[in-house]
Amino acid sequence: MSSEHSAQMKTPGKFSSIPRISAIVLAVAGSIFYLAGQFAGAVLILLAGGLYLAGLRLEQGDGGIREAMARWKKILAAPLSGALIAIVIGGIIMLLTGYNPIKAYSALFYGGLVKNWHISVINAAPLIFTGLSVAFAFKAGLFNIGAEGQYYIGAMAAVWLGLILKLPGIISLILVFAFAAALSAAWNLIPALLKVKTGAHEVITTMMLAHTARYLSPIFIRAFGGNPSTSTHPYVTDEILPNNFLPVFKTLFPNANYRLHTGILISIATAFFIQYLLTKTRTGFEIRAIGQNKEAARAQGISIGLNVFRALLIAGALAGLAGVNQVTGLDHKMFENLHANYGWNGISVALLAGGHPIGVVFTSLIWGILDSGGQYMARTTQTPNAIVEIVKGITLFLVVARYISFYLKRYWKRWNMSGGK
Amino acid sequence: MNTQPVILETRKIVKQFPKVLANSDVSIQLHQGEILALLGENGAGKSTLMNILYGLYQPSSGEIYLHGKAVNFRSPREAIENGLGMVHQHFMLVENLTVTENIILGSEPGRGLTIDYAAARRQVKELSERYSLKVNPDSRIEDLSVGLQQRVEILKALYRKASVLILDEPTAVLTPQEVEGFFTVARRLRDDGVSIIIITHKLEEVKAISDRVYILRRGKVAGMRETSTVSKEELATLMVGREVVLTVHRTPHQRGQKPVFELKNLSVQGERGGEALRDVSLSVHPGEVLGIAGVDGNGQTELAEAIMGLRSVAAGKIIHKGELVTGLNTKKRIHRGIGCVPSDRHRHGLVLPMTISENIAMGLHRDKPNARFFSLDYPAMNSSANALIKRFDIRAPGPLTAAEQLSGGNQQKVILAREISRKPSFLLVNQPTRGLDVGAIEYIHSEILRMRDADAGVLLISLELEEIFSLADRILVLYEGQIVKELKPENSSEKEVGLYMMGGGP
Ligand SMILES: Nc1ncnc2c1ncn2[C@@H]1O[C@H](COP(=O)(O)OP(=O)(O)OP(=O)(O)O)[C@@H](O)[C@H]1O
Ligand SMILES: [Mg+2]
Repeated sequence: MSSEHSAQMKTPGKFSSIPRISAIVLAVAGSIFYLAGQFAGAVLILLAGGLYLAGLRLEQGDGGIREAMARWKKILAAPLSGALIAIVIGGIIMLLTGYNPIKAYSALFYGGLVKNWHISVINAAPLIFTGLSVAFAFKAGLFNIGAEGQYYIGAMAAVWLGLILKLPGIISLILVFAFAAALSAAWNLIPALLKVKTGAHEVITTMMLAHTARYLSPIFIRAFGGNPSTSTHPYVTDEILPNNFLPVFKTLFPNANYRLHTGILISIATAFFIQYLLTKTRTGFEIRAIGQNKEAARAQGISIGLNVFRALLIAGALAGLAGVNQVTGLDHKMFENLHANYGWNGISVALLAGGHPIGVVFTSLIWGILDSGGQYMARTTQTPNAIVEIVKGITLFLVVARYISFYLKRYWKRWNMSGGK
Repeated sequence: MNTQPVILETRKIVKQFPKVLANSDVSIQLHQGEILALLGENGAGKSTLMNILYGLYQPSSGEIYLHGKAVNFRSPREAIENGLGMVHQHFMLVENLTVTENIILGSEPGRGLTIDYAAARRQVKELSERYSLKVNPDSRIEDLSVGLQQRVEILKALYRKASVLILDEPTAVLTPQEVEGFFTVARRLRDDGVSIIIITHKLEEVKAISDRVYILRRGKVAGMRETSTVSKEELATLMVGREVVLTVHRTPHQRGQKPVFELKNLSVQGERGGEALRDVSLSVHPGEVLGIAGVDGNGQTELAEAIMGLRSVAAGKIIHKGELVTGLNTKKRIHRGIGCVPSDRHRHGLVLPMTISENIAMGLHRDKPNARFFSLDYPAMNSSANALIKRFDIRAPGPLTAAEQLSGGNQQKVILAREISRKPSFLLVNQPTRGLDVGAIEYIHSEILRMRDADAGVLLISLELEEIFSLADRILVLYEGQIVKELKPENSSEKEVGLYMMGGGP
């Protein structure tokens, strides 16, 4: 039996690496164009997809293609079909309450996908980071519910260093990113320590620290420029030095919106890095092992404590990157009482993606599109923005219900095996 | 020939999993009031066939007839309603409920929302007395030994008035003493008109308990025999497709002078406090197999865990190659060449959702050839897994198959392949052949002896005296956490060892 199947292990040959590399180059270029609002980039992306499939076919035959399709279907089917059903339900709600769903939705999608595409992308970037944070911790069997707090720490760290650091080129920016990531990782030290030493549940500890971080921010803002006597409400910090701004697409694409910054590229690259980390590295292997069977992993000498540490610290750093991304890319300062809730929403996009790092990129984009499109819709058609929240809520509900039903089915199966009614 | 009517029948059952044809054209018949054995190699498709009968899997094609009528169970519930009961290879009880609660779960007596607990308890008691399946109806499952848990599973099926009882490797988890009692129960059930299908890998059990036996090989029926007219050797040959040596030959071998592994006055706390091991001292020399005999629950698990550094030591020393390792963590012990095959493959042995090659690499996943710098070297991992799949005859589509998709025996082979292939200087094997077929046992036993002949030290914990007698050079008897006797297999008998295991002896 085993010999028949050795074919599936064939290592990629010389020829297949050519379509593979060109597919990657095309996909990256196409995505950059597309994200910058140059929708012709879609042609490149489609081309890349074609090449990828052709290469896969060359390498593994039709079976390979079918397997790849099945893999992607597994990741994307749930969020996409959930969103679709939710949109239909949202339409029915609009009909019942006297709004025109066709008009509203055309505005929503025109706004989200075309007119205000740049806002969708700007929205998606921090969500990708926080979503990755939550998804990564999931893999270790941990729930980093306090990503919101790590987000604030990352933002504060970015402002702090961003106000003073002046080094040539992008060195400065790199240091700001590294510093913020390190601080927000450190923010998760306490939950990690408590988890390992006393078994205190991370849901409670990270949540408490999330509130702590949020209430720290007004103090921080007042200390760094947000002086109530001079600045107007909402209080803000001073603006960070321009050499710590993330580059904007406009420098390369004159037609791009001036606010559209390159944080999205960093976030997508991070998603690929996390995917690589989880599936290909020793650390990722250990994290997955303890997430799936602690006892067996421990019996093979994998330290549970060390990996809980790693997972929570990396999750903290990822959520912190969302904060840096906002400060260095979009706001260049920090606002008080700006309830963007990227941390909490990160939980939603991670759940939607079923914890898959690349899936998070897509679900964050869907969320970003719904947000920006929703604002556009509210402005142009007087349909209340709440409808978008309803659609988002229903999507999440449907997808999460799917996962729950998956687990229930498992449970049900066991229950059934033992003959339950 | 059995003249009783056929009660359950399969006709040309086919089950195709993605990449694996588990059953092909399987037709078997079960007569009223008989005990039918199902024999076959690991991965032959026995559990799959039984799960199809029980409504857990749908066959790809083929039919099932119950009392001559075609049936199609879409869930175990329908199977139960039609009088089928099944005890699975891995139990399905709710750990923190009591025996009675587990038994009535899903068919609670009483009206509306109230449960008539007293009536249920009475019924459970009656049943357990009638079939001498003694178990306290108020104990919690987590406090029961596996043998008792199995009684609960059987009671559960009887409580639902099963007239056909399917038992998937019921004896694999029982001690030899419990097996006898279990057979008495099975015979009594048969005399009461219950028809029984029983899966086992032990040929002497087939001989002892069954009326007829079907042999499955690679998903197909390889034959059917009346038990009284068939020999163990013929069964083994039918099952494996070649002749099998039922007991491996142990050649004399000079053991090394200096012990490779020692325990000195080791004491270990048990799960619920109390001393699980008291003042245990032993030494394993290179080139010998030291057998630990004992009834399950006398400290074997704690011993294994202490040796691997998974459980802290209250007092005493653990010494490997002359160096103290008591303070070392599991990782360091593995890297020193201490290996372990745990007794519970699902809990401690495998990460089930991971692939075969990941499970084999685990433990040495930071080292060459499994890793390069920070990354895992998947091609290298896959090719070494592939080699082990061939060498240990693991029935799987390939190294990328998830461990959870393997049959129970093949999961065990993955663990054995991992540990043996690491060439440890000291290997602890805890019930290494539980759930393996005769061919696989032959192979594993010869591998263990080959390790011994290559001057590794082997500590064999087994509940089966036969296994201990065929492998061990010396035998220690573990009773209530203490070593009560040391014996030489040449000058002793299973009977004598059995006596010491029960706390007796001259
Ligand atoms: N859910 C599944 N998905 C894919 N393949 C499976 C699945 N369950 C079983 N198989 C495959 O079907 C074959 C038969 O498995 P089965 O569990 O019926 O074997 P078995 O005869 O009970 O073996 P054992 O004696 O080891 O328990 C094996 O090759 C196994 O890998
Ligand atoms: Mg089986």
